Amino acid sequence: MTRTIDLEYGKSMKRKLNIRTAMEEASRCLLCHDAPCSRDCPAGTDPGSFIRSIRFRNIKGATETIRKNNILGGCCSLICPREKLCEEACSRTGIDKPIRIGELQEFAIEQEKIFGMEVLKAPKDKKKGKIACVGAGPASLACAAKLSLEGYDVTIFEAEEKPGGVLTYGINPSRLPQGVVEHDIKKIKDLGVKFVMNKRIDGKKDIKKLKDDFDAIHIGVGLGKSKEIENKYINKNIDGVINALDFLKTARENNGKIDIGEDVIVVGGGDVAMDCAMTAKQIGTNISIVYRRTIEEAPASYEELEIVQKMGIPIITNFAPEKTIEENGRLAGVSFRSRDGHSTMNFKVDKLILAIGQEASLGYRDLKLSDGIFASGDLINGGETVVQAVADGKKAALDIIDYLNKKEAK
Amino acid sequence: MTFKKDLSIDFLGVKCENPFFLSSSPVSSSYEMISKAFESGWGGVFYKTVGIFIPDECSPRFDIGTKESTVWTGFKNMEMISDKPLEVNLEYINKLKRDYPNKVVAVSIMGSTKEEWEELSKLVTEAGADMLECNFSCPQMTSSAMGSDVGQNPDLVYEYTKAVVSKTHLPVVAKMTPNLGNIEIPAIAALKGGAKGISAINTVKSITNIDLEHLTAMPVVNGKSSISGYSGAAIKPIALRFVADLLKHPDIRETHISGIGGIETWQDALEFLLLGARNLQVTTSVMQYGYRIVEDMISGLSYYMDERGVSSLDEIIGTALPNIVSAEELDRDFKIIPEIDEEKCANCGRCYISCFDAGHQAIDWDEEKRLPKVNDNCVGCHLCLNVCLVLGCIIPGEVKFKEGRTPHEVEIKEIYE
Repeated sequence: MTRTIDLEYGKSMKRKLNIRTAMEEASRCLLCHDAPCSRDCPAGTDPGSFIRSIRFRNIKGATETIRKNNILGGCCSLICPREKLCEEACSRTGIDKPIRIGELQEFAIEQEKIFGMEVLKAPKDKKKGKIACVGAGPASLACAAKLSLEGYDVTIFEAEEKPGGVLTYGINPSRLPQGVVEHDIKKIKDLGVKFVMNKRIDGKKDIKKLKDDFDAIHIGVGLGKSKEIENKYINKNIDGVINALDFLKTARENNGKIDIGEDVIVVGGGDVAMDCAMTAKQIGTNISIVYRRTIEEAPASYEELEIVQKMGIPIITNFAPEKTIEENGRLAGVSFRSRDGHSTMNFKVDKLILAIGQEASLGYRDLKLSDGIFASGDLINGGETVVQAVADGKKAALDIIDYLNKKEAK
Repeated sequence: MTFKKDLSIDFLGVKCENPFFLSSSPVSSSYEMISKAFESGWGGVFYKTVGIFIPDECSPRFDIGTKESTVWTGFKNMEMISDKPLEVNLEYINKLKRDYPNKVVAVSIMGSTKEEWEELSKLVTEAGADMLECNFSCPQMTSSAMGSDVGQNPDLVYEYTKAVVSKTHLPVVAKMTPNLGNIEIPAIAALKGGAKGISAINTVKSITNIDLEHLTAMPVVNGKSSISGYSGAAIKPIALRFVADLLKHPDIRETHISGIGGIETWQDALEFLLLGARNLQVTTSVMQYGYRIVEDMISGLSYYMDERGVSSLDEIIGTALPNIVSAEELDRDFKIIPEIDEEKCANCGRCYISCFDAGHQAIDWDEEKRLPKVNDNCVGCHLCLNVCLVLGCIIPGEVKFKEGRTPHEVEIKEIYE
């Protein structure tokens, strides 16, 4: 019998590093010249430097490097697909296995909390101009932090009750505890960034209005809407069919205490699908993942696939949903057809969770950026990682600064 | 890392932007190398020993100590003084001072006769150096007229220091060998000869490993090897001891000391400062990791000062020295019983093994639960605490006073990293 992991909703699966085990791990680092790990971090978090600082017992210096380069350093330490980025580049791989960069980063950020460090200091008087950031997800947060550090007066507008976007609502808390998200966001608040919550800025008209009060606007609303399945035989409107983002959000808001029935299927092969499956398993359902392509083609990170596997969640590949089966006006089953068309598969299903990708919400589709309006993150790059959104947000901040400087010069 | 405190310090009347200097060694051999080090943040350099003598070096010339998977616990070096012609070194020194006026260029010199010492003193002073360091301590010279053989002879140390001082207006530092019993004797001889500062320590004479293939020491030079200087982390405890010995001596305690030996991190550096060193020299860790290690020394020391509310290094220099006392002065009234945290315990039993085989059989082992338990045999030696690999699992616990001793307040160390 294979032993699987029984992981409580919100509980982490890894033991955190302490000063001694962190030192042990940092001692494995080859301390490369022109460190490839640093080169391969989109946000420039610079693991080469912060691992060296840990190795030389300068823990606060390590924290400083992370926080200065990546305002969401805490979140990224946990959810970054490191095996495709820094850890893939790690030279130690040439000997055995890469340095556990994410865990070292998590350790350093933890020390920031313990020591009550305030690494970043923004000017108190924001005299340089007013900027609105729409959306409180990674790209907007990174953009706002950078602008605030440079002395701009930044206000973030967010439709939801809490800031963080995908960090707060779209990821399983066993991977990313809310405390980590809140710690990162507190660092942004401490810079003097203002947050206006429960305020939806819904597309062009609202943005035009904002333009009257702000010198520039950054749009970082991400891809906030689950994609709809293009199959008229899948009834999206019946009780029992839900989309991934709504499911993850409801679960987080209720700390995993929700009832979604016994038999659950998640359709999709990305990180969101894996997070849904983890969540459904933790809630206590009989969960399976069905993906229309192969594992090799699945966009989910290796770490996510590994967790799902460890939790004993089956992944059925090369099958796509064909038809929903209803009983008494609610979902009773789903039939799937194989990619080659030869086979069908029928499941008894209480809940069908569709995790087949996200798209921009209506008001932000075909967005044209006019004078003084900037955008970055998933909305622009089509849906990438959080660390990429941090990189894009930082870059957008620089573009805004450049724009305002030029405007002033005129 | 941009957080920085003012780490400036006066060493022998010369203002140093920080106490971190390269020592006279392979890491400080040329203009190009030292300029890179200065750009990395080093406050100054002890330029690799300049002499009239040009060494004929062997190959290979280095070896390392190891323990388990840790490499470079120590480093053995057979290289002698600079292999460059004197004129080239003088030109480099001159150019360094011209291009980096705010960095400190101390130059190590070594002669084989009184006349050579005088000549070197004069030429290096004219080249624009900030101070001179007399190398009385290199243990691998091919001539006994130079190096640690000189450093063990107080008469020669006195004579040569005097010769150097007579030809310069710059402060002169004497670099001591640890290959003797009492470092104070040659140090006092150097001070009598006019030296203003003391550097301690040079490398420790060593045989790192015996090669099982060629039946000689490492490194193997055509089937043979020789005894030569050992440095790095392994010698830090020896260096700290010599620094303390020097500064405890009534005739030396006012002297500015440059501490050398196994400094890799800001904490190592701080330890030398707390004993009273005002300047720090580093080689081995630079050989292993590069000049960049100074960045974490500067940053780490700055954070330490910030944490403690210290605004100048002068406030902390020497503050640990009075607490290092003779063995008979220690408070021996009590024993501190270790406390084992069963939750943290990884159940390995290493504390049990060490206590039984090397201590006082003071730990009982619960075979069922795989848990150690301290019994009444405990003398409070803390071998278990040092053997335990789990952070915070074994910590100092109850203070028990020996029979007939008056209980009193006892300071207990609580943080073991």
